[in-house]
Order: sequence, then structure tokens, then C-alpha cells
Amino acid sequence: MKVSLFITCLSDAIYPRVGEAMVRLLAKYGVQLDFPNVQTCCGQPAFNSGYWDEARATARTIIDAFEDSDFVISPSGSCTYMIHHYADLFKDDPAMLERAQRLQAKAYEFTQFLVQVLGVSDVGAVFNHKVTYHPSCHGSRLLGVKDEPMQLLQGVEGLEFVPLPFAEDCCGFGGTFAVKMADISGAMVSEKVDHIKETDAEVLVGLDMACLMNIAGNLRYRGEPVRVMHLAELLYEGVTQR
Amino acid sequence: MSHASTATKPKTVKARADLALNDEFLRKAVKFTTERLRLGKKNASEEHGNWDDWRERGRQIRLHTIAHLDYYLNLFVDNARANGVHVHFADTADEAVKLSLAIAERKAAKSVVKSKSMVTEELHLNHALEGIGVEAVETDLGEYIIQLAGETPSHIIIPAIHKNRYQIAELLSKEAGETLEPDTQVLAGFVRKKLREKFLEADIGMTGCNFAIAETGSMVLFENEGNGRMVSTVPKTQITLMGMERIIPSFEDLEVMATLLPRSATGQKLTVYMSGITGPRREVDGDGPEEMHIIIVDNGRSLQLGDPEFQELLNCIRCGACLNACPVYRHIGGHAYGGTYSGPIGAVLTPALNKNVGEWDDIANASSLCGACYEACPVKIPLHDMLVYLRRRKVERGHGNRAEGMGMKGFAAVAGNSGRMARALKLGKLGQKLVARDGGIRLKIGPLKGWNSYRVTPELPKQSFRDTWKTLEGELRGGLQEMDEATRDRMARIVQERGQGGKGGGHHG
Amino acid sequence: MANSREHEAWLQELEAASRVKQRTFMDGIAGKLKRPRVTEAPAHPYRGAPDFWREMEWDEEERVQRFTDNFKSVGGHVVRLAGMEEASRFIADKAQEMSAHYILRQQESELDALGLEAALPEAQVSVWNSDPDTDWKARAAEADFGVVLADYAVAYTGSITVLSAAGKGRTVSLLPTVLMAIIPVERLRTRLGEVLTGFDQAEREQLPAGIHFISGPSRSADIENDLTIGVHGPGIVYAILVG
Repeated sequence: MKVSLFITCLSDAIYPRVGEAMVRLLAKYGVQLDFPNVQTCCGQPAFNSGYWDEARATARTIIDAFEDSDFVISPSGSCTYMIHHYADLFKDDPAMLERAQRLQAKAYEFTQFLVQVLGVSDVGAVFNHKVTYHPSCHGSRLLGVKDEPMQLLQGVEGLEFVPLPFAEDCCGFGGTFAVKMADISGAMVSEKVDHIKETDAEVLVGLDMACLMNIAGNLRYRGEPVRVMHLAELLYEGVTQR
Repeated sequence: MSHASTATKPKTVKARADLALNDEFLRKAVKFTTERLRLGKKNASEEHGNWDDWRERGRQIRLHTIAHLDYYLNLFVDNARANGVHVHFADTADEAVKLSLAIAERKAAKSVVKSKSMVTEELHLNHALEGIGVEAVETDLGEYIIQLAGETPSHIIIPAIHKNRYQIAELLSKEAGETLEPDTQVLAGFVRKKLREKFLEADIGMTGCNFAIAETGSMVLFENEGNGRMVSTVPKTQITLMGMERIIPSFEDLEVMATLLPRSATGQKLTVYMSGITGPRREVDGDGPEEMHIIIVDNGRSLQLGDPEFQELLNCIRCGACLNACPVYRHIGGHAYGGTYSGPIGAVLTPALNKNVGEWDDIANASSLCGACYEACPVKIPLHDMLVYLRRRKVERGHGNRAEGMGMKGFAAVAGNSGRMARALKLGKLGQKLVARDGGIRLKIGPLKGWNSYRVTPELPKQSFRDTWKTLEGELRGGLQEMDEATRDRMARIVQERGQGGKGGGHHG
Repeated sequence: MANSREHEAWLQELEAASRVKQRTFMDGIAGKLKRPRVTEAPAHPYRGAPDFWREMEWDEEERVQRFTDNFKSVGGHVVRLAGMEEASRFIADKAQEMSAHYILRQQESELDALGLEAALPEAQVSVWNSDPDTDWKARAAEADFGVVLADYAVAYTGSITVLSAAGKGRTVSLLPTVLMAIIPVERLRTRLGEVLTGFDQAEREQLPAGIHFISGPSRSADIENDLTIGVHGPGIVYAILVG
């Protein structure tokens, strides 16, 4: 059984600690992850901006990279959902379409894999902090990852969960949107951080490093000492503290 | 009436949004109202239950009707005529205006009272009527306020969402010739009295149309104030302007729309008034219009037919739920979109109705593609996908931004190959040495200017994940746990079922 | 109208143009949909509400309760009375209480039987469309009370349905300050669909010009989302359930 890690470019370049936490946590369940070194980016920046030829080029790389995998696991709901768009990219190319659909069927976001495939909703972690959770839009709305992270958080001993007001609102990242429409995006992330402050949480946890980078960037800009973590990091840290 | 405000509007969404972002009141007002509306919708849909089944049903009815629009629209027209309605067709806004003016002139009308209609906003009909000396009076409270201000609606169902009671009191005081207290009851009371006179003396009542029922030739209006009933009952002549896609087959189908529309719009179980109007007054009736016209308007709608990416736009029932759910709309308000329709639906509908790629402005860029609009939509229109299709078409037709196009080519070259990506990363790490402090970059120049005006950018770590992989893998290989048998079996089963065409595992909830 | 013949001719001219345009309009739609014109009714497998919904039916007590709750929740008033005699007394009492002088009612035998004229000797009670020389719209506009008999009511949405006819003016439920709607309890249905499907089943020719569902007093939230009652339609609405 070949279970491959789709690290995503952001976790690869900026947040390797997220990939490491995932790898170490899954190893506890006997999952030996494989890492195809040829993988790159899912192509979402180009796809969302309307540059589909360019998106197709990266999609091909990803499809090639995971051709032989049985499961493909990623720390991002957004990048996982991007794989669902490969069918749009190759709708006029039957051979590629078939490969794209095969990849889609085996692509999982990290918590989906943990809960749905491994059947784990309590990793036995301890985490004595006040935590709030931001559900990223693509993961929760489009990929439908809603219950899994909540189950996993509920299983953590000592964790005090505070619901985030207007949690479902977008943090304002949106890829190139944050650059093209910087002021609107800035207003959105500022509002998100206002809500985080309302919770008094010490830790903000999420499932997508792009959104978390955005939020963490604003928290730091405003000098707010909230720690920002991917759920995989929180769970792994909680397991090692046991 | 002043129309100057539209002439001085900045040209781009970005510039208009900047204006809105600097308007503290506007942001607060829009935020307050949209939050209330979306909470109302959430409560109403949860209380009703099985909401996704209803959405799916609504979607199917709309898909079916639009897929057979020639049949149903034709049936509607034949039935409406049999009911005594004079039916007209307008391919363009111009034609619709000409028809409306011709009727007004023929009737020697001095005044027209109007209930809320987004189609007439598309046509700028009030302006045209005034041009031939006919007074056009908006009678929906919000529309009336906007008309007095010489503005356009900034929300599909709450047109004056951006105005506060003080601004409204000022406008209405001018109209009243006396100072009115900024009290909602006082202001609404004045409008009731003032417009009551207008209803009674108007020659023509003009309405939009929420739904038109093919099998009976009836037109249906949803409203809360009673002005829709007024304009379709009191004046001797009624003119209804309807988009050609407003059709549903039957009254039975109306139950589904009546379940979805008010709940999605305001969280109501039903609007205070839902009226089905089937032709002009019968001969024996004591009231109702003597003459009734329905003008069926295309104005770019048919361009969506047969376009697999945009046909579903015609399913829209104009509830405004996508505006209330949209975080971008909440911050910039409706006027920033620069068209008749605002919010996510406006961002797609405006360019789609115009099919004018070169002038698409940057309207489709005003979205983070968060999908809140899709989730809110009672007929499940994938607006977030459509925004991407718009962006793609703009690029494909050579109207993309050149710098961005070059950037994307570069992106593809780098992201299409892991070796090049690793080298690019190395360059980045070298470059950041000049600008990073304490693990963060605060520089506000170049591409980082906008981003870093609100954030600190994280520094790239010394080693990327792929740099550490070999070590990590080696370390873990030794101490790997044995996978338990049940999990192993489950995984094998998932892979096997997938091969047999079963649904992939970790997908849509 | 002196030029009515001329007007008729003008309308006919428009109609001729419209009929020509109708064909090109529909052909245009079919062309864009890339198929021939559809001229036979297509199968519509998703007609109306989902099946599970059609099975819902409340007993009379629950219908009354739900209707009452819904109607009150939007600011309407609901009373339940044993018979028409009590209804007459209720309306008369309310008229006295609110000093209503002008009362306009629909021309229906059930409302004749109310005997409002006798119960309110000081008020002017008029009967819709009972005399061809009266300006009935003006009567409705000046009325304090409009009294109507509901054709149906719907518990799930808290709605009253009124249909127009010679003796049943649309303005009677619209222009007066207060609306008094008498609802015989047996006309109260559970779901909206029960009333709506009736309009499909009736022949098109049988439909009245105006079908109105009224779910409470007229309202608006257009000023700072602050609820205002009685913007254009009646601001006070009584649903009088009888039986």
C-alpha cells in the first residue's frame, strides 16, 4: 500500500514543520509515507487567475508524481480540492481526464485520511491550552471537511476549545486576491483577527497553511501573541507531551 | 433628479472599493445588515429543515425550466395573452425602454408608480421616463430613498443598505418641506402618506416579476410593504417588466420557490405579500388594472443559453443571499461593483450579460473565491467557479494583464518542474537575507507592498521539507509501528472499491 | 374614451408585431440551446415540493396553533371565535375601541350575515362594488377597517389567501388602515402547496385576476434594518378564526 505525501509548495518552502508533524504522527499508525520528489505546486494560483494552460502544466506534474500511489495525503484542503479541478482542466483530453479522476479518487486532506481511512478520531494527545479553530473555506465548504477536525480536537485532553465567532468567514487570503485586492483582503484579515482576539485563545489552529500564514501575518503585524498552528502540529506536539 | 453620482465614479473595482473601505459608516452599516440577514437565513433554513433537499429541488426546477425555456416561455406567453395581457418582447434594453415609453405616451401618462424591479434598473427606465416628461416614482421605501438621493441600489433586496437614518431624514425632510426626526417610524409614516397620494393619482403602475407561471400565464410578486400590490391594483394600466428567465412551470413549483426565496432573502417564512396576478381585471371586478402589459426582456440573458459554464446563472432567483454571505461585499458595499447587480451574483452577471470581455474591468477579481456565495445560494449556482471561468476567458481572449501573464508563465515553468522550483527557492532564501528581521519581512515595496501593509511575511526556513525528507525518512523507518489489521483491510477495501468505480473516499461531505 | 377605437387598433398593431417577434424569440432560444424547438410538454420529474414534504399534514388543532404562532410572530393578531355572531361582535367592539367610522367589507353572503350595519349604527359600513356609481377605490382608501372573508389560510407560513371577484375587491385587503380577515377554520390548510396546487387544477379561465397571500401587517426594514410596520398596506391585521 503506497501512501504518498503531497506536501504542497507552501508547507514545503515555508512550513516544513507541518509536513514533519504529519509524517511523524502517521508513522504512529504504521503509515509509512512516501514522498515523490518530483512533486511541485497544485497549480491553483494559475488556475484561479484564469491561466489554465499554465495550470495544466503543473497539474500534469502532480498527476505524474502520484501515478502509482494508493492514497495521496495533503496538509491542505484547498490544494486537495484543486485536484478536483483537474477534471475541468482536462475535460477535452480523455486520457488525461481519466488519470485526473483517478488521482481525485485517492486524494485526501490530512484529517479526512486520519478519521475516514485510519478510523482515528482521538490520537491520545494532551494540549493544555485555550484553542480556537478557523475552518478554511475550500476545505470545509468545497471539500466538505467539517466534522473531522472537530472530532480530533474533542479527543485532545486538556484542550479548552473556544468557538471562533463568524468562523466560516473567509480570512481574506484567496491567493493572488491578497495581492491584487490588497486593501479588501487586508480588511478581511483584520476582521478575522478581531474575532480571534474576542475568543481570548492562546492558539489558533487550522488545516491550511495559506490561510494560517495570512492570519499569522496580521497577528504579528498587530503584535498579538496568538500562536498559529496546523492541526497536525498541535496533535503531534500533544502526543509527544504525553 | 441628479445622476451625477454615477458619472464621477472611479473606473475600477479596486478604486471604488478603496472609497468604500474608507467610508467607516458604510462598512459598518453594510456589515450590520448583512450579518442580520444571513443569521436570519441560517435560522429560517435550519428551522425549516432538510434545506439541502429543498435547494436541490429548487435547482432541478430551475435547470429543467431553463433547459426547456422555449417551451415554457412560449406557453406562458400564449396563456398570458389568453388572459387578456398584452405581451411584448425586447431583445435589448433599448427596445424595452421604447416599448415602455410608447405605452406611457399612448396613455398620455403623467406619472408612473413603480414597485421594486431590478430589470428596470438595468434599463435605467426612470431616467428615460423623465426624459419624456413622465414622473416615475419608486414606491418601495428603500428605492424611494435611493431615488431621492439620485443613486442606484447597492443591494438587491435592501437598496438603501448604505444609508443611515440621519441621511435618510435629511433627504425626506427636503421632500416634506419640514424637518423630520431621524426616527424610523416618523420617516416611514411620511413616506406612507406621501406615496399614498402618488398611488391614487398615477396613470401607470409598473412592476418587476419574481416568477411567471407558464401553465396559467400568471405573474407572481413577492414583497413586504404592499407597494407591489398597490401598483398592480390601483392604476388603470399595469406594465410588468420581466427577465425572460423568470419562468417556472406551475403553481406547484411556486411552493418550492416560495420556500427558498423569502428564507434566503430575509429569513422570513413567506414575504408579507405574495401575489399571483392573472391578467387585467375581469369585467365584473371593481378594481385592478384595465389594461395590462408584460414586456419580456432578454438584454444579454440569452447569451448564457447553451454556454455550459454560465447557463446556470439564469437559475438565479434574486434573493440576495450571496451578497449577505460574501465577505468582500460586506467590506466594500454594492456600489463598488459598478453595475446594476452587485455582490457575487453581480460580479458574474454583469460581465456575463454584456459578453464584452475586453471591458470586463477587474470585477471578477473582487473575490477571494471562498465559496460562501455558493453555499448560500438557494439554487446552488456555482458562482465561485464562474468567477474563475470569467478570469480564464479574459486571459484566453488576450485581455489579461501582461505582467501577470508573464508571471504566470514563469510560475508554470517553475512549478512544472521540481528542480527549477528548488532553485527558485534557493534564490528566495538568498534575497531575503537583505530584508528579513527576526524571522519576518516587513518591507512595503514592490509586490509585498499591499500584503505587508497588513501583515508580516514569514522568513523562509533554512531547509525546505524536501531538504529534510531523506533524514526524516531514515529516522522513522527504523521505529515504524505495525499497522493494525483492521486498518490495513479497510485501506485495501477502499482501493479495491475505487477500482470498481466506487466513489472515492475523502470527498464531498 | 373617445379614441378607444384608435387605441384598440394600436394594441392590435402591437400584438401583431409581438406575435412575429414571439416566433423569432423562441427560435432564438432553441438555437442557442442547439436543438430544435420543443413544442410538446417535456417530462418534469421534479415538479413541486419534495415527496417527503407532501406527506406532512397537521390536525385541526395543530393547524390553528401553528397559524396563530406564525401570524403573531410577525406582528399580526389572531383570535379564535365560536361563530360568525361572535365575529360580528368582535369587529364591532374593535371598531368602537379604535373609533373606526368607515368600514368597507366584501360583498359575500357570509359577511352579509355578520350584520355589521346593525352592530355599528354610528359607523358607515359599505359593501364593495354594491353600487356602480361609487368610486370604490376611494372608499377603500378612506376606510378605517377592511373586512374580508379568507378563501384559504395556510398554517405553516401563517398566511391568509384572498381571491378577487366581482364582490371581492383587491383594495379591501390593501388600502384600509386595519384589515379584519375572517377565516372559517375548515379553510385552514397545513402547507402552502395545498392551496397552490388548487390553482393548477382549476382551469386557467377560472383563475381570478388577483390571488393574494397575506402573512401579517405590511412591513419594511429598509431604514437601518429597523423594522417598520404599516408602510403601504394595513399596519394592523386581525386574523379571526371562526369555528
